[in-house]
Amino acid sequence: MKITARHNTDVLVIGAGASGLRAALAAAEAGAAVILANKGPLARSGITLTAAGGMQAPLHPDDSAAIFCDDIIACGYGLADGDLVRALAEDAADRVLETERYGVNFVRDAAGGYTLSQFPGQSRPRNLFVRGGGIGLAAALAKACRSNPRIQIMDDFFITGLVRNTGGAAAGAVGLDLRNGELTLLAARAVIMATGGCQWLWATNDCPADATGDGIVYAYRAGAELVDMEMALFYPSVLVWPPSLKGAFVHYEFLAPDALDGNIYDNAGQPVLPKPLPVRDQAMRLLARAIKDGRGGPHGGLLWYVGDSPKGAAAVAAKLDILQYNYIRAHGVDPATDRVEVAPGAHYLMGGIHIDPDGRTTVAGLFAAPECAGNFDGANRLAGNGLTATQVFGARAGLAASRWAAENGGAGPDPAAAEAETARIAARLDRGSSGTDIAALRDRLRAAVQQHAGVGRDAAGLTRLAQLARETQAELAAARVPDAGVFNQRLVELLELENMAEIAGLVAGCALARAETRGHHIRDDFPARDDANWLRHTLAKRTAGGPLFGAKPLRD
Amino acid sequence: MDNSPPITVRVFRFDPAADEAGRLEEFAVASAAPLSVMALLAKVRELDATFCCRTSTCFKGRCGSCLVRVNGRDAFGCTTLVRPGETVVIEPHSRYAVVRDVVIDFARPLTAEGESGQ
Ligand SMILES: Cc1cc2nc3c(=O)[nH]c(=O)nc-3n(C[C@H](O)[C@H](O)[C@H](O)COP(=O)(O)OP(=O)(O)OC[C@H]3O[C@@H](n4cnc5c(N)ncnc54)[C@H](O)[C@@H]3O)c2cc1C
Ligand code: FES
Repeated sequence: MKITARHNTDVLVIGAGASGLRAALAAAEAGAAVILANKGPLARSGITLTAAGGMQAPLHPDDSAAIFCDDIIACGYGLADGDLVRALAEDAADRVLETERYGVNFVRDAAGGYTLSQFPGQSRPRNLFVRGGGIGLAAALAKACRSNPRIQIMDDFFITGLVRNTGGAAAGAVGLDLRNGELTLLAARAVIMATGGCQWLWATNDCPADATGDGIVYAYRAGAELVDMEMALFYPSVLVWPPSLKGAFVHYEFLAPDALDGNIYDNAGQPVLPKPLPVRDQAMRLLARAIKDGRGGPHGGLLWYVGDSPKGAAAVAAKLDILQYNYIRAHGVDPATDRVEVAPGAHYLMGGIHIDPDGRTTVAGLFAAPECAGNFDGANRLAGNGLTATQVFGARAGLAASRWAAENGGAGPDPAAAEAETARIAARLDRGSSGTDIAALRDRLRAAVQQHAGVGRDAAGLTRLAQLARETQAELAAARVPDAGVFNQRLVELLELENMAEIAGLVAGCALARAETRGHHIRDDFPARDDANWLRHTLAKRTAGGPLFGAKPLRD
Repeated sequence: MDNSPPITVRVFRFDPAADEAGRLEEFAVASAAPLSVMALLAKVRELDATFCCRTSTCFKGRCGSCLVRVNGRDAFGCTTLVRPGETVVIEPHSRYAVVRDVVIDFARPLTAEGESGQ
């Protein structure tokens, strides 16, 4: 297999979720030529689609960017970077409202104002709600990208790795065009990584199967620093049964007394959550403990139930008559009356590629935007901040990358780098197949990540996980798949699993380094928060001898 | 113990490099519980790694990445349920060009009703 196609551009955006779409628009509006590459079909893949649609902005008369800022820092247990949080809080209102310019609609009250609701951790009502949820947001931004003549969309296009120029700056990427099977070089003056999180690593999660963390590992391989890779956020109530609903979630927030006043019950019918409801990390800890103590149901979950709500059947049915619950109904389960089996699942990655407020990574010419970027949340995330961050940092990265492209570049990818990446991919192909059971290796890895890097971790388990990740990498190194031409899904899945195995090792390494408990990172062997030593990021950096784990000071 | 009868799945197979026309291939999928067509396709993929299908879900029944043709009718694969013992025919959605097997190309709509791709 050889590179058989080449495209040149100013700014290459990898990933077309809400972050990548916004970054592409910002770069194009600043005058840059943009290629937007995405491994699935546009607006039909990525985590953004699964989002309920809450988006934070300090629009309430009693609210301000300063109060918003304080809420983010407090919710993140002090681990977010000050300058990033200020940028997020200060730009939020403008960037959120600007989405209307691209055709996004928000839910409004009878007087025509935005409906602002208040979620746990928000000291003012601050949550706007996008009509159509994450799909509504992605669809509007995708339409704006399609009609921008400076943006060339290449979807069903799997990026395999970055290429740099001889000076070491990011200069593009190599990818597999799934529609025609061509290995393609995308040469760019600046690259924005916007590939989302890696939650598919955990056996229980509520994200699409393409959340394999590819971009995080590509940036790492190119020399970028990663921070806080141990910080995965676990949503309390992700469905674990029935099988065809695995991965959907039901709101634990709906169990609040002023909402549906339901609860999550153990196998003896005892409620597991106190009222008022605790914030996410505390709620999911209680659920995880109940499951560990053997109080779970036949499929390892606890029972989410609102069928006996004092609000009455009609109110429950009305509140649950929304897309997400109609999806569950289509699977033969009525969430208004049936017990639904749930457990904590990986939902969001707070760690990732280290950025500055303009999305610059530690590699020249390489930028990163939201979920794959790592240092604006800390150890927990406020509801509604995920989507707001896509717009704030997506726009900032797009603008900064277009400037970088105008002022630098021209060198083009180092041919040797493109050749090395091509050889790496070509080496995975064979006339037959190595017979390696890739699905079995994947399932084993995901189960181990769930067990050892889920809720509740300790040194012994994390060490075992690091070992298993290395073994999996070694076994995958010998795996070969046939050169299947168009839509070589086996090749994509092999490369994705390689990425996952490498990230699993980084998650284990960072989780081992952080010898304390903070937010969603719970060390059973270090149950206390340790501000004296760990008001710092964990750091993972690639060296010739393997990953180097350490600490990195917070930005202020 | 589970005595549920398997689900019989007849899926469309088509490799543009080797085939002039598509054909149906039959698989038996064991499942005690009903499965969505999308979950069923993923199971077929586990039985035969050469079979291609889209696997990314929105969990909302809205994005359309799962569009297929089920028993002769265009449908959302993620919200169409198949019960143990049933037989189901799964083909590519009728309004888009086929890339391979049941994977369609959203950028190449075949009819005016298919959305314009890019
Ligand atoms: C169930 C759920 C509900 C949520 N609800 C909310 C909410 O209500 N409010 C909120 O603020 N946040 C919410 N979040 C979080 C929020 O949705 C995400 O953080 C955000 O959408 C991430 O956007 P992104 O663009 O960074 O990543 P994504 O949307 O994941 O986009 C990344 C894109 O990159 C592509 N990609 C990945 N690898 C490659 C590769 N190798 N080559 C090419 N392309 C690649 C993917 O296909 C994908 O399209 C929710 C999350 C979940 C899981
Ligand atoms: S996966 Fe989104 S509609 Fe079916």
